[in-house]
Amino acid sequence: MEPVLMILIVVLVVIGGLLASLGAHLLPVGGAPAAMGTATGIATGTVQIMLGATMTGLFTAASVATFSDSLALVALSGAVGATVMISVVMFMANILYVFGCGVVPISGRVDVDPITKEPQAPYKTPQTDGHGVPNVVFVSGMMGGFIGGLGGALMYYALLNYAGFSAGTAAIGALSIFVANAIIAAYNIRGTIEGFHDPKFKRLPFALATSLAVSLLCGIVVVIAATVLGGAM
Amino acid sequence: MGLIVVLLFAWMLVIAFLAFIACTFEDLESDMGSQSNPNSQVQLAAQVGQINRFFNKAISGEPLSNALYCATAGTVAWLLLLKLEPLVPGEEWKAAVLAIPVGVLAAAMVNMIFSVTSHCGRTAAMKRFEQPIYLDVLYGHLLPIATHAFMTTFCITCIAYIQSNLGTLSGNPSLNHPFALPLLGFIWGITVGSIGSSTGDVHYGTEREFQDRPFGEGKRVVYHGKITRYADCGVRTQRDIAGFCAKFGGPVTGMTFGLIILFENWRSMVGMQLSGFLPALPVFTSTADMAAVIGIVMGLLIVAALAVGNLVFVRWVRKKCGPFVGV
Repeated sequence: MEPVLMILIVVLVVIGGLLASLGAHLLPVGGAPAAMGTATGIATGTVQIMLGATMTGLFTAASVATFSDSLALVALSGAVGATVMISVVMFMANILYVFGCGVVPISGRVDVDPITKEPQAPYKTPQTDGHGVPNVVFVSGMMGGFIGGLGGALMYYALLNYAGFSAGTAAIGALSIFVANAIIAAYNIRGTIEGFHDPKFKRLPFALATSLAVSLLCGIVVVIAATVLGGAM
Repeated sequence: MGLIVVLLFAWMLVIAFLAFIACTFEDLESDMGSQSNPNSQVQLAAQVGQINRFFNKAISGEPLSNALYCATAGTVAWLLLLKLEPLVPGEEWKAAVLAIPVGVLAAAMVNMIFSVTSHCGRTAAMKRFEQPIYLDVLYGHLLPIATHAFMTTFCITCIAYIQSNLGTLSGNPSLNHPFALPLLGFIWGITVGSIGSSTGDVHYGTEREFQDRPFGEGKRVVYHGKITRYADCGVRTQRDIAGFCAKFGGPVTGMTFGLIILFENWRSMVGMQLSGFLPALPVFTSTADMAAVIGIVMGLLIVAALAVGNLVFVRWVRKKCGPFVGV
């Protein structure tokens, strides 16, 4: 394998890992409290929803990779697939919150929605941290899905076309590196986060530094696997 | 036989319908065993003195456990298909009719084993809070859990089978998805679990689990652990909860997954059709790239429509419900 190709694989894996970590921080994760209307966001864990979105994107990216060799098109297909998944989930969750539980989608971290300028505090149930998916949270979730899906698809493309893995192995490899980075983000978030407007978002640099180290190691392992196991072109 | 485009779109709609059924049952299965996010409340209930007859089987997060069941079913079905398909040349669907249910049955049995160990383990850990293990609760919930899980895994395995053979079923094998059946089962298992966990749990957690608290407000921290233990008639078990959630939470969750599968496949297919990629399939050409570009643009349009829809919906709800008026 040529040294340039090796560096390209490592660089793409590192970029994919960093995007995964950034995307996970942008997703509005409410966990169990959100499932009881005690917190704003999507009612599940960071890794769980990030993984679901990226897998959906990866499915489409893998289809596109069978008939197009463009890195940009494969990566964007994955990114858009993940965004579609997360947007439908957030929209339908809002329908459940409103018609099933009778609560108004409200942010618990800001008094005024930074995008629509709608007041939040008067609509909030006391002793809760907001509920549902208000507009600023929806936009942040869309961005998170797009960035996370882009990262997953970039890694898949690198493993498939540069490291010479088969489609199935490339998917599992990309997924594994993605999960490691999403778990780092989950540790950094520690519970719930609403998105880019949340004070917890300022912790992002710590997660990115850790992701950089982990992704670099993963990239080197991919190169070793491709070279030693004879998977390289 | 050349590729029949109408057949391709028809299979896509079948997949979307199966996805709707799969996620509906996934949500109900998680409610039935309290594997949803609010299982923390069932765990907490005994600790705040609320002895209950709830089934608590939080094996792991829903995406991972569903990925386990679907990958198990997919692997068993795939191995059986490898052995059975050569026996019926030209009529491979006959092998699938046997292989898929057998694979799913194996997954349902794995689910039941995990459910028993998980429920007994969790409840035994609450001995110091005097929470007993009710044997009738244990036995009575196993079959409903297994049947709901069977439906979910069956639909997901069928989706994976159709997608991994989509080209063959429509006339051109080169359009088959590059992932093998077990990997597709794994992918959709993760996705169905993450949707069931993020969407369906809301109805169970906010509404049904705290039904003796005020409707129309988020659940306050002081209510946590104080779950509703009595049903319309008698003591509540999870079977009452699944019946309740089947009326709204389950179908909405199913629609979420159905819409995702529909949008994802539809935008790809429409891109292929509009760019002239179908039915000749000229791979690695500018036509193929155009198919991907149109698919991406269609996806962005769908996302934009959903964002605008959310904006309008939230504005309508705020106007209709108004500020919080309780204390």
